[in-house]
Amino acid sequence: MSKQEMRKRLAALSFSEKVKILEKLRDRSLALAGSGLRRKVVGKVGNSREKME
Amino acid sequence: MQADGVIGKYAIGGAVGATLYLEPAATLDVDIFVVLPEVPGSKLLSLTPLYDYLKARGCAVQDEHIVIGDWPVQFLPPTNQLEQEAVAESVETTVQGVPTWVMSAEHLVAIALGTGRSKDHIRIVQFIEQDAVDRNKLQAILERHGLSAKWQRFEQKYLEGAHE
Repeated sequence: MSKQEMRKRLAALSFSEKVKILEKLRDRSLALAGSGLRRKVVGKVGNSREKME
Repeated sequence: MQADGVIGKYAIGGAVGATLYLEPAATLDVDIFVVLPEVPGSKLLSLTPLYDYLKARGCAVQDEHIVIGDWPVQFLPPTNQLEQEAVAESVETTVQGVPTWVMSAEHLVAIALGTGRSKDHIRIVQFIEQDAVDRNKLQAILERHGLSAKWQRFEQKYLEGAHE
């Protein structure tokens, strides 16, 4: 399945099914944020330096 | 909350609102635009009764959010005519059988354009690329709320060639 087809398929899901996916994505984002693996951007946009936390 | 008179009409906006029309994208909170009942003798609108109502039901306040279930929720009184219209003309849907209201795709795009952060621009492009907006309805909203010139600049910068 192409990425475009996958996006269409996901967009066509019911709102209830999408909310369940949102909850999983939220929990994954929070887990990543809590793990310290996420890069922290330091400095201004366009002139940024990145460092690993 | 509506039945108890704590809030008037409401509509889900932001990334969660956009999810009604697009594929789900990661977000950490829910934005709910809410019309607050007027307090007799006061022109000020206060979120305090809403927060008190939810805190009495076990919800915790977390910075600018109040946590309902597992979701940090931000309640936002409409601050301009576009947001008021977006709430008034919101679309009814259901989540697990519970009726709820979500802003129309066109109002979500117009508000995102007005807000104008990078993530708002990305969301607008998604709406256009996925053909999830009625372009005539969007144009009418943009004209009504003085956003046509901003939209033209956005189109030139981000959408030229989007359908090629």
